[in-house]
Amino acid sequence: MSAHDHHAPGDLQMGHHHVSSAKLFFNVLMALLVLTVVTVAASRVDFGAANMLIAMGIASVKAALVIAYFMHVKWDTAINKIVFLSSFLFLSLLFIFTLADHATRRWDNDLHTMRTPVDKQWVYRQHEHAGDH
Amino acid sequence: MSHDGHHSVVIPAPGPEFVPHTVAHHFDTPVQEFQAAKLGFWLFLATEILLFGGLFAAYFYFHEAYPETFRVGGHQLDWRLGALNTSVLLLSSWTMAMGVRSAQTSQKQKTLLFCGLTVLGAVIFMVIKFFEYQAKNEHGLVVFSELFAPYDAATGSIPWFKDYHGVMAGLPHGHLFFAIYLTMTAIHGLHVVIGAGLILWIMKGAAKGRFHAGYFLPVDLVGLYWHLVDLIWIFLFPLLYLVP
Repeated sequence: MSAHDHHAPGDLQMGHHHVSSAKLFFNVLMALLVLTVVTVAASRVDFGAANMLIAMGIASVKAALVIAYFMHVKWDTAINKIVFLSSFLFLSLLFIFTLADHATRRWDNDLHTMRTPVDKQWVYRQHEHAGDH
Repeated sequence: MSHDGHHSVVIPAPGPEFVPHTVAHHFDTPVQEFQAAKLGFWLFLATEILLFGGLFAAYFYFHEAYPETFRVGGHQLDWRLGALNTSVLLLSSWTMAMGVRSAQTSQKQKTLLFCGLTVLGAVIFMVIKFFEYQAKNEHGLVVFSELFAPYDAATGSIPWFKDYHGVMAGLPHGHLFFAIYLTMTAIHGLHVVIGAGLILWIMKGAAKGRFHAGYFLPVDLVGLYWHLVDLIWIFLFPLLYLVP
């Protein structure tokens, strides 16, 4: 399989590396192109709020194919896997705290602006509205 | 072993059309050189993920805040051109993977061919991107000549956002979608240009026979960079062209 099989361990080269077959790369390419069509098709159907989750789900599958096969992470060393894949862990922390901030804000729909929950001006305006009635 | 500098480790060339590789003097073995470079490059790619991650976080935040602005904004982009560019990048990612494989199996001509096709993909991508930007410029959605003009706090008007046809009229912060669109695609485009330059540099080395089964480290690393460019676009395409 590997082009290096005829070399004995300890030969003068960069170590033994997995060489993927051309067929595997072609299959991955086909899967990526098919999933692109699926992405466009899924965007045409109204699933409501689920459209975002579906689009990101398909993109994540495509990303996993690129990372595992094209980027050879599947056959890479444990330390390299940890270094690269941990970036997605930190990314999820960024997303979770950013969206938590968004979820805990109040919205001034008339002015299309956002305010923090402790915004004095906002609290004051709410009281003003309450007094109108 | 080779710390004294009196002799260096040399990886022999597998054939007459290739040249041997001399391991950098601060490494003991070829394996050590390979693993050190590869670990460093994965660390760099992790920082790239986080660079784009900040922009994606901004996208999700404002998409949640102004869904209508993003929906209408996304309709101003041509999804067919976006899908075409997605296919071009996926194909170029495949040719790059095949290029690395050709270097790994000491196939010099194939390495050059697949790397050349990858650069061609990068050029096609940037040409399509240019026409897309030109259309945005004509519609006043991103006026490139005004991009660095100062913001006028008195009128509150944004110099680069003219919206000649009023497609975003009445929507809150109509410029926001295009600000995020331009920032994300321009930084991505910069990576495409840098990637293409690096692949040309790889081709120069490959033509000299520097890369073969015994030594293909630079081809491998540039390949990883190119796949990352593809990886980012896989998420940009649905988020910008098919706004959910």
